[in-house]
Amino acid sequence: MTDRTPRRDPITEHLSDHGLLALVARGDRDAFARLYDLYAAPAYSLALRVVRDRDLAADVVQEAFLAIWNQASKFDSSRGQPSTWILTVTHHKAVDTVRREERRRADAMDEVRETPDSSAPVEDQAWQGVAREQVRAAMAKLPDPHREVLELAYFAGYTQSQLAERLAVPIGTVKSRTFAAMSSLRELLAASGMHPEQEWNTSTS
Amino acid sequence: MEHLDELIAAHALHALDAQDERRVDAHLAECERCRAQLREMQAVSAAIALSAPAAEPPAELRDRVMASIGPAVVSTVRDDEQPAGRRWAWWPRFSAVAVPVLAVAVVGLVIWNVSLRHDQGPHAITAVTTVGNVGNLVAYQGGDATLVGNLRPAPANHTYEAWVIPHGQSVPIAAGTFAGGNGISFTLTKHAAPGDTIVITLEPGHGGPTPRGPAVAKAVLPA
Repeated sequence: MTDRTPRRDPITEHLSDHGLLALVARGDRDAFARLYDLYAAPAYSLALRVVRDRDLAADVVQEAFLAIWNQASKFDSSRGQPSTWILTVTHHKAVDTVRREERRRADAMDEVRETPDSSAPVEDQAWQGVAREQVRAAMAKLPDPHREVLELAYFAGYTQSQLAERLAVPIGTVKSRTFAAMSSLRELLAASGMHPEQEWNTSTS
Repeated sequence: MEHLDELIAAHALHALDAQDERRVDAHLAECERCRAQLREMQAVSAAIALSAPAAEPPAELRDRVMASIGPAVVSTVRDDEQPAGRRWAWWPRFSAVAVPVLAVAVVGLVIWNVSLRHDQGPHAITAVTTVGNVGNLVAYQGGDATLVGNLRPAPANHTYEAWVIPHGQSVPIAAGTFAGGNGISFTLTKHAAPGDTIVITLEPGHGGPTPRGPAVAKAVLPA
């Protein structure tokens, strides 16, 4: 059986992310391929935003999905959504890559502003595009200093002490600002009807 | 004294300095409240991930990823083989006894053609689904699913076990054991509804309440 091309597998299409992951834990390649088809694009988009290099981003995604395959049996469904887990693993590997490769741009602050994507328009899964706009709108509502620490930490890979140094503020300020930003963002997302702890895979009814 | 909540928010962003990360991990191992807090913060981080500009992964990345998890096991029955005296060439090439509990690269799932036939007659059959080339799953009204077909007899000290994974859930529920062979007609001991997934595994010994052996077939009851 070849699993080369994405195809609409009538069996795995019916499964929730948790169902897919449970099957992945039992070595189900089709379920794994389905998870890839669902989440490779957001994972790659995240990785590329962090590592700023397409080859490295592809490596990050490959490592992340391999980790998902190897650790699916340890995933506890009460711990949250598989989609969160996939993106968390991807982000962790992306940040590790940045720190290892020391490829962070000197002026990461400029990178966090929206720059036109020079690649061709991307066929986006509808839910992903909607989610992107909702999150961007919520983040735009954060005070600038709060949004700044989130973006520098999350997308540029700064640790708390590196942020303190870069922003020339005490580390305690960075920590409390980070916490406040995350708490506010959570409330803003909920107010816009987005509950990240719930499932995003909308293929199941 | 800084609050752990602050560190947990940074942890979810993977932004902790190494010694803080060690502190937090040690604390998380013993604090369910903070683990729950971390889960919530991670959900927010995952949302931030979605704000990144859309980028399409290269098409060949999918092949690379699928290849990296190990070779696909060739495990389909050849259609031209006759049930009687057939050579079981499709059997996955691994020792069932040696396969670890959650076999990573070795399990091959036999299926796949899902065909639908709705029998509107007075009889009880409501759906027929092929379970790969293992056989057919016939669902009777009232939710009893029966597997009819042929399956290589289970090796010594092993048994086949059927499982029902209800639609929308992920935990398989034991639905009975059987020995395999030609001309199987095995009725699952657990009701199965349309949309439920049926899985058949090869279990060591007499099977049990949770699957330990590799899956050999699965199917979803059509709605």
